[in-house]
Amino acid sequence: MRVGLFIPCYIDQFYPQVGIATLELLEKQGCEVVFPPEQTCCGQPMANSGFEHLTKGCNDLFIKNFEAFDYIVAPSGSCVLHIKEHIHDPASQKPPEAASSDRTDISALPEFANFPTAHSRHNIPGKIFELVEFLTDVLKVDKLEASFPYKVGLHQSCHGQRGLKLAQMSELMAPPFSKPQQLLNLVKGLQLVELDRKDECCGFGGTFCVFEEAISVKMGKDRVADHIRHEAEVITASDMSCLMHLEGILRRQQSKVQIKHIAEILNARL
Amino acid sequence: MSGSNQKPLEVPEQSEGNEQGSPQWGEPKLSSDRTDFNALPEFAKLPKANSRHKQDHAALAAEFNKDEPRVDWHDETLWWVRQKRDKAAARVPEWELLRDTASRIKDNVLSNLSGYLRQFEEEATRNGITVHWAADANEHNEIVLSILSRHKIDKMVKSKSMLTEECHLNEFLHEKGIDVVDTDLGERVVQLAGEPPSHIVLPCIHLKKQEIGEIFHEHLGTPKGNADPQFLTHAARLHLREKFLTRRVALTGVNFAVAETGEFVVCTNEGNADMGAHLADVHIASMGIEKLIPQRRHLGVFLRLLTRSATGQPITTYSSHFRRPRQGQEMHIVLVDNGRSVHLGRKDFRNSLKCIRCAACFNTCPVYRRSGGHSYHTAVAGPIGSILSPNLDMKKYADLPFASTLCGSCSNVCPVKIDIHEQLYKWRQVIVQEGYAAAGKTAVMKTMNWVLSHPGVYHTAGKTGRWFMLNAPFTVKNGFNTWYRQRDMPTPPKQSFGDWYKKNKK
Amino acid sequence: MNESSNTATRNSRDKILNTVHGNQPAPRELPPLPEGTPVAPGDLAPTFITALEAIGATAYIVSGFDRIATMLHEQFPGARRIVTGCPQLNAFAEAAAAAKGLDPHLLENVELAILPAHFGVAENGACWITETQMVERALPFIAQRLVLVIPHSSIVPNMHAAYDRIAALEAEAPANTYGFSTFIAGPSKTADIEQSLVLGAHGPISLTVFLLDEELSDAGYF
Ligand code: SF4
Repeated sequence: MRVGLFIPCYIDQFYPQVGIATLELLEKQGCEVVFPPEQTCCGQPMANSGFEHLTKGCNDLFIKNFEAFDYIVAPSGSCVLHIKEHIHDPASQKPPEAASSDRTDISALPEFANFPTAHSRHNIPGKIFELVEFLTDVLKVDKLEASFPYKVGLHQSCHGQRGLKLAQMSELMAPPFSKPQQLLNLVKGLQLVELDRKDECCGFGGTFCVFEEAISVKMGKDRVADHIRHEAEVITASDMSCLMHLEGILRRQQSKVQIKHIAEILNARL
Repeated sequence: MSGSNQKPLEVPEQSEGNEQGSPQWGEPKLSSDRTDFNALPEFAKLPKANSRHKQDHAALAAEFNKDEPRVDWHDETLWWVRQKRDKAAARVPEWELLRDTASRIKDNVLSNLSGYLRQFEEEATRNGITVHWAADANEHNEIVLSILSRHKIDKMVKSKSMLTEECHLNEFLHEKGIDVVDTDLGERVVQLAGEPPSHIVLPCIHLKKQEIGEIFHEHLGTPKGNADPQFLTHAARLHLREKFLTRRVALTGVNFAVAETGEFVVCTNEGNADMGAHLADVHIASMGIEKLIPQRRHLGVFLRLLTRSATGQPITTYSSHFRRPRQGQEMHIVLVDNGRSVHLGRKDFRNSLKCIRCAACFNTCPVYRRSGGHSYHTAVAGPIGSILSPNLDMKKYADLPFASTLCGSCSNVCPVKIDIHEQLYKWRQVIVQEGYAAAGKTAVMKTMNWVLSHPGVYHTAGKTGRWFMLNAPFTVKNGFNTWYRQRDMPTPPKQSFGDWYKKNKK
Repeated sequence: MNESSNTATRNSRDKILNTVHGNQPAPRELPPLPEGTPVAPGDLAPTFITALEAIGATAYIVSGFDRIATMLHEQFPGARRIVTGCPQLNAFAEAAAAAKGLDPHLLENVELAILPAHFGVAENGACWITETQMVERALPFIAQRLVLVIPHSSIVPNMHAAYDRIAALEAEAPANTYGFSTFIAGPSKTADIEQSLVLGAHGPISLTVFLLDEELSDAGYF
């Protein structure tokens, strides 16, 4: 199967090792992986800030880069969720309708006329996967040649968890499951630590992290403290943006605790 | 990628006034060899941290966070309430089915609200209740005043009603010389402190018992330094009993009103609504028009959900059903619109009218728990307040939909399954479209978007990580100071993933 | 209310109803109501009692009113003013008839109120009491301590069953069509100060529920 690898912009720029681990991991599972070089960003940073109407350029680029693949995989639940929910369909672009008097019906805004999200011809929402769910649900991975002999705290990134349902949410009265945990359990020597709050948000939140700096940092500090209290040596997640934020706090505290994207752990050979 | 023979980078003009206009490509503004970000002219234009409105959520939250131990205490207290909710919900095997049922009943209510309002009016009137209609807050307050004036009464007791907070009834009546005593203990505390409630179910959750002891010492004459909750509650009981016994008008809120029977239900733990209503000659109940439910048996669903979601109790101590005034008593219902009927027309946002004010979304919200209710500068704070308030005043509350990480926990605890975090996202789009976004933010977004839509520009923007440090959402805003103030930046690697891929795979 | 504000209210009424009508979405069906999983099969009284105790109340299963009178004597020896809505206890307390129709303010010094209620709810310990059982609406709230008496066989599993029962009661006797009624679950309480639970906010500081089981012999229970 041909897999298009989507490496979110901040991973490309700051954490190339996460991209490399993702690529190697997929290749080890027998995928033919291609990284379209002209890719940039899913558009989420703008959209979550209220500028979804500006993201057509990013979207078009994304479609151009990825529509030909069987699957699209990215090591970021947040970007995948955004693409799933908000990518538009160029084939169904409607002419802007007469301006609606209701400025709060988003789909009626002329700026959003080309944003129907449900069923688009390129079917990108149907074939894009976050790395963990691609491994568990599509490739049905049940063993890994990985070893990582450390105490690891798993941070459940919200968009992956509550958006893509990578794990059961603590708010719901439903049977527990966790796809990232399922994979981490296959790693030799790895010991998962229990957390007091197993799925509380870290406070990154895109532009939230700068526009609401005080709360963002406080949330991050509290998350970090929970992991440290339970003696985690490494904090992992399937979203690098959360980890970048937590890493920023850990480094500032001169903590020895490391952060690792889950792809790095699943690909670790010691 | 190299810095020497690179062509100057174009960025769209950062127009501050023209927020919806198409980007115009201006002169090059960035070149890759400048390294002092704060000195860059681009950043001179950006707002300094918290300089936009002194009163926005971010600024008020930052203020609250100056006392970190208090933030921890606030967070842990509310997290404890959230955990109680989890335990109570877990004891009901059909919990998720109940949420779904409640949500669908409310869908039905919203789809036939005009019919149910008429039916309720007819039934309530038949029961001997006087029904009033108030288009807005002011009309509601005038109606209450007119009832008081007709009886020549200038004192009343009031039990918890977020609607009267929304209408600023107390301030209004105070100006007219009417003395209003809030009888819910938490509300009485904040009333004596001269503050608004910070939480819709736990009004004084932001205050420590020592502070409440001080307030009681000052206003009720309790001994200085006594901060024992048992003692303070008893002091309030004595103080408020006297009020109950001497006030002839009592105002209560309404949790549910039943169209089928014309009755309304008020839920309290303290019994203060009942003490007020049954001792008064005149009972006024104020309710938002969305509080209706079709049939009495639907109460079974809502009463099972309400208190378990709110505090983790299986039900409130009192769930009182008022159908007819007591012999010789007057009973009034004020049906208040105040923007609700307009909100109903907003397809993306109308679901927020399903809210039963349990505050579960407050208690679970990691932002609320760490910013305190007053940071929302509105009567109903928290996640639900952030999607209701922009309906009332989009400009004043333009900051609230951004006071969230969109983590989605609120939507999961909501007993009527309001898509709260999705509405937060949608409000952001509307607020930006309506031009209420900060100019600096708009400029940044436009630049960023433009670069990210042009891979050529993105890939030649400079050394790895360089462009990002200037433009990524987590690094912009007054240079990257707001990131950097309490967090380290990632160290840019020698090469980007793209570079690595080119060298090793292609 | 004077003429002019009446007119204003009427205008607002039509305005509100019109806007609501114009803005409400297409009709949505009402869902079927869940019956609720019974908390425990069989005898619901133990579940009910556990729920009551968890909310700070006390419960006893008793064989008759004599037994209730004896116990109340023991438990509230100093109570000065006792009012009851149970005619069987008239020898023991001020009868309903005496208190009925009084200015409710005159009930302020009632130390103990003993009232019948229709039924209890196993899932949450609530008792359903209607106006006619209360003597005065204010009484169950204003009394310092409250005692409720319900038939042992009356416990329903949950709130769905409770509302079915309420409808059945009304169908049985028009007297059960209340002008006011309430579920009472435990003593009045608050946790407004730092989430510390305090019993006796404004209403009764204690609640005792007697489950009356005439089949029961006096011997077993205490
Ligand atoms: S939005 Fe939902 S969770 Fe929040 S107060 Fe309303 S009903 Fe409760």
